[in-house]
Amino acid sequence: MRIVRSVRHKVCADGSFMKEFLLSAPIPEGFFAYLGNFGKVEALPNIGEGFYKFEKPDWFSIKGFAGDTTVEVRFKKEVMDLTVDFLYLLFTSYREEGTDLRVLRRREEAVERRVHEHLHGRG
Amino acid sequence: MARSPPIIYLNNAATTWPKPPEVLDAVGQSLALPVFGSGRTTGSQGEDYITLAREALASLLAADPAEHVVFTQNATDSLNILILGFLAGQEAGCHVITTELDHNSVLRPLHELERQGRIRLTVLPFEDGAVRPDTVEAAITPETRLMVTAHGSNVLGSVQDVPRIGEVLHDHGVFFIVDGAQTAGHIPVDLKDLPIDAYVFTGHKGLFGIPGTGGFYLRDPESVAPVRYGGTGTDSFSLYQPREMPERFETGTHNYPGLAALAAGADYVASIGVNAIAEKAERQTAFLIRELKSESNITIYNESPVLPIVSFNIEGVENDDVGFILARAYGIVARTGLHCAPLVHRAIDGGRGSVRLSLSWFTRDDECRTAARAVKEIAKDANSSVGSP
Repeated sequence: MRIVRSVRHKVCADGSFMKEFLLSAPIPEGFFAYLGNFGKVEALPNIGEGFYKFEKPDWFSIKGFAGDTTVEVRFKKEVMDLTVDFLYLLFTSYREEGTDLRVLRRREEAVERRVHEHLHGRG
Repeated sequence: MARSPPIIYLNNAATTWPKPPEVLDAVGQSLALPVFGSGRTTGSQGEDYITLAREALASLLAADPAEHVVFTQNATDSLNILILGFLAGQEAGCHVITTELDHNSVLRPLHELERQGRIRLTVLPFEDGAVRPDTVEAAITPETRLMVTAHGSNVLGSVQDVPRIGEVLHDHGVFFIVDGAQTAGHIPVDLKDLPIDAYVFTGHKGLFGIPGTGGFYLRDPESVAPVRYGGTGTDSFSLYQPREMPERFETGTHNYPGLAALAAGADYVASIGVNAIAEKAERQTAFLIRELKSESNITIYNESPVLPIVSFNIEGVENDDVGFILARAYGIVARTGLHCAPLVHRAIDGGRGSVRLSLSWFTRDDECRTAARAVKEIAKDANSSVGSP
């Protein structure tokens, strides 16, 4: 599964930058459990095929429905340039039979350092 | 979602949809022939949509004379013209009153003027969805010159006691501008009887026009100075803005398709009757509130609105997420967040914002039932399952 393109965007009232992405395939339910490795996931599983919301503080949030081919992503605008590649990687790396998290973890740590420096300075 | 459900449009307090077929036809017809406007063309085959719209609005709102109905781009434009034009004739540092119920179309112009040191501003609190007339009276000082406030709240659906507030203000010689963006076309408005100096309307909400039209009624044109100057098609040898109405405020080319739509929309409202519109809205809104109240984790912020607006939150789910779910899973178009009325939300929900469902004459009972069921399903699921999967 990969992000095909952004279909809509806007600046939200809280200052975040929202982009709606079209995906190459419907989102499997297991995708959101996998996202839980990198942040907090909330769910309303009985609505449609399940509504899910993933939050990685200071990076971005993702919300969508299992079985849907679009997701809404809200980026923290100040560090969007640093985090957007990781978003794409989250989608392309996912495997239903099990995802190797090691590469993702290394990327996450590297980006986290840069996000922290950008938002809070060194140290 | 594998398939998209049909649209249930419940964001009519922002912009009404659908529009009556007569409105859509009027837009097409207005563009089918060259425009005809007094003083601007020698042709006579087309309709004079500007005059038609002015007479339709004057009739619907009991605004007399019709020439005192002025067309603008929208309600915000009207409010800026009236506020800036009235204060142009007042001493710097005079006192102005508004309320926490107001939209940013009122709050931002007034706060900008306060920042520039041109006015002192008092923002009054509300109780049970309205500002009490005695609260208004207590806020008046010898320097008070102007009060600007919403007729109806776009968040709470409440309607202010404009007759009583107007009497209080006029007893003290205070100019009264009423923002009727949410009331025109929704409830009866009789401008010949209301003690107000100016009434603002927008075209694309309860009047069923299209975006890009609005206006105001001004009782005494001399009380407000024009803030825009230019061609009117009249008295063209004069290098100064005409004093006559409506040219005093209407300058530049009109929005002909928009005014054709507004005329048709106002005529449509008149043909149904505002009382009939209000009665249907009251019944449907009461149904929605009754249904939503049955879930203990839904907080409704306006249990007895006059206007067809229901504002609520579901405990444990952000209002933005509720809006997302309603749209994607049920095809229901709602509005979430602050609704450009930040002070209302600061008072009712700590500034968190809310989900707003707002109806129009075209909202069907089965759509209300679907919306109530959808919100209750989300609330039930939130009650049982928020957390990590």
